[in-house]
Amino acid sequence: MRSPLRHRLRPILGLAAGALVLAACSPGEVVSGSQSAAAPASSVAPSSVDPKSFAGQTLTYVYFTDGPDEKATRTAIAAFESDTGAKVNLQIVPFADLEKSLQARLSGGDSPDVARVADWHPYDDQLVALDPYVGSAFAGEFIEGSAAASKNAAGAMVAVPSDLTMNGPLVNTDAFTKAGVALPTADKPWTWETMVADAKKVQAANKMESAIAIDKSGHRLSTVLSQFGTRMIGPDGKQALDTAKTEKALGLLSGLMQDGTVQKDFWLESGSRYKGANDMFLAGAVPVYISGNWQVAQFNSSAKFGWAAVPNPCEETCGGFPGGKYMVAFQGGKNPALAAHFLQFMNSKEQQAQIDPVAGWLPTRRDLVESGVTYPERGDDMNAFLADVAKTPTEDFATVSSPAFSASATSLVEQMSALAAGEVDVPTAVAALQKEITGNVESAGK
Amino acid sequence: MSAPAEASRPPRPVRGGSVTRRRWWVPILFVAPNMIVFGLFTIWPAINGFNISLFDSSNGRTFTPVGSQNYQEILSDPEFRSVVLHTLIFVVGFVIGCVLFGTVLALLLNAQRRGRGLLRAAYFLPVVISPVVVGLIWSWALTRQNGLVNAVLSSWGLGKPGWLSEPGLAMISVVGVGLWTHVGFYAMILLAGLQSIPANLNEAATIDGASAWQQIRRITLPLLRPTMLVVLVLATISGFQAFDYIYTLTGGGPVGATTLIVQYIYEKAFQSPIQYGLAAAGGVLFFVVVFAVTLINYFLGRRKGAV
Repeated sequence: MRSPLRHRLRPILGLAAGALVLAACSPGEVVSGSQSAAAPASSVAPSSVDPKSFAGQTLTYVYFTDGPDEKATRTAIAAFESDTGAKVNLQIVPFADLEKSLQARLSGGDSPDVARVADWHPYDDQLVALDPYVGSAFAGEFIEGSAAASKNAAGAMVAVPSDLTMNGPLVNTDAFTKAGVALPTADKPWTWETMVADAKKVQAANKMESAIAIDKSGHRLSTVLSQFGTRMIGPDGKQALDTAKTEKALGLLSGLMQDGTVQKDFWLESGSRYKGANDMFLAGAVPVYISGNWQVAQFNSSAKFGWAAVPNPCEETCGGFPGGKYMVAFQGGKNPALAAHFLQFMNSKEQQAQIDPVAGWLPTRRDLVESGVTYPERGDDMNAFLADVAKTPTEDFATVSSPAFSASATSLVEQMSALAAGEVDVPTAVAALQKEITGNVESAGK
Repeated sequence: MSAPAEASRPPRPVRGGSVTRRRWWVPILFVAPNMIVFGLFTIWPAINGFNISLFDSSNGRTFTPVGSQNYQEILSDPEFRSVVLHTLIFVVGFVIGCVLFGTVLALLLNAQRRGRGLLRAAYFLPVVISPVVVGLIWSWALTRQNGLVNAVLSSWGLGKPGWLSEPGLAMISVVGVGLWTHVGFYAMILLAGLQSIPANLNEAATIDGASAWQQIRRITLPLLRPTMLVVLVLATISGFQAFDYIYTLTGGGPVGATTLIVQYIYEKAFQSPIQYGLAAAGGVLFFVVVFAVTLINYFLGRRKGAV
């Protein structure tokens, strides 16, 4: 006969074992408070480094490529290896998997030394503060907006702005010529009204599907907001949408979607996913395409017709909306000094001047912006984008560098989609957007 | 007290005159590899998933214990309520379609004599195509502007409906594509069920003057009920788990009209800002719902004598 005590002990032991199992599978690093930010950077001189002291060491660099930049990056890496005697292990991952991959590696204790990222905020507490290695003056080598966007809340430089992007319109020049419509110039840019009117004329003359295409992206929509004189997040990091200006901008876009000037199906059919309209432009289905300078290299090899980049339309302000990529070093890497030196080397004047023309990147360094970059192909188009950098409001750099920008850009796309579907009116969409941005700012600040 | 129990036990296998009690571990040995894999890749992640649902992970790396906060947050999220509603609409349409079209298809294939093998293969083919490819093929076919379906419809003067860009039509599209993909599989199960029904029952009914419809109603469908219950349960689980082809077909759009629970969980877990805790809480709630619905299906079927 079984002992009653033993019989009763079984469920107790089972519960205890279950509790042990749950305790054993505690997920990663458990904290009870927020991570402390890096100490504020005071004015520090760069540490003295003999490049040859890194000989024999290895550095892992997680990278995503847009295409032609890979070759130029490998050339720069070869120069670094020759200069230092260190070995760089370039690990290329698809952009879509970048954040997942990096987060998984960081939580698994397999941190790379260096990575190229579009947004460094998700790794804020894991990044090497660069000032002690490269000196606090290093940030000043970059244009003001990019430099500001590379510093954390404590003022420490935690990322190096490796390339700058600028949004703007690309046009099918063959279609414009056939329609007898003149292109805008830097001296005589379009307004939104004239751009729409010209695009419609060209569309009709060439029997194209629609007049204007714009990537389904909160970043691209931010360009329109900026031109109408407002932005989602202000320099103080708080929600900054001007209700009237936002209603005007989104109302205009919504109207263009309802009357078919911009294809609303293009926006609605892809759900929550990003969608670029480059295929539509390359198919000759649209005369004006609002995208960015990264399309130049692709169109140079793929377009079967004449095309050009033209200045952004001006409303309250001119210019486009900036973006960019950064290089960061991780605290979990094997050798932060080597990583910091690599970041400095790859973003030196000499290396950016070598990479930018091949990769089709806009420079982030002050000296290169001032001197200009000689692009071997499509130089006029790249310079059209570069010219708009100077016209873009400085506040936009703060907007795009906010940790709440990414989530707010998603909210902007969602509200624009609701407008395109006719599910909400413009004031309701703008009010909802303001509320969501406020929430995103609060979440990002936690 | 133990004598009757001993008496009712089957005799133990005997070899060489001795009882082989020492070999109790042999069946366990056979089952063990599968159980280990199942435990490692299903049971353990499920337990860990529940554990993660009790933590906040706003940056994807550090985990702060928050108790039931993720559950409260997710249950009060209007988006979650909306995806639950969309999921239920999808599952109801999908399950009814699978049972209905699967049964009709199975009856037709059962009656078909010539070319039956070819037809079976044709209807089963979508089952073996990758769901991502299915989504891409149909997204090209159903796009409003240049899609194949609208090219045909507009050539007949029927206009260009927004199959993927109008919320109501988009849900019909994803249910339709889901049925195109899965009905062949359920039809094969039902066909196997049909072929297990003794032919002499229908022969006797024919002699008694029963029409074909009467035979289907009075003989075939009642005897097919257990197989239909299996299909009902499998289709319900499959409907709740639908994600891959819907994500490539509509991306959950337009305006979230086809965003189902699995996509909601995926986006919370793997799209910036990464929120593993919320995603895990969604996964636990999802498991509870699927388990409950499956149990309800099963017991309703039992009550009606289907199993």
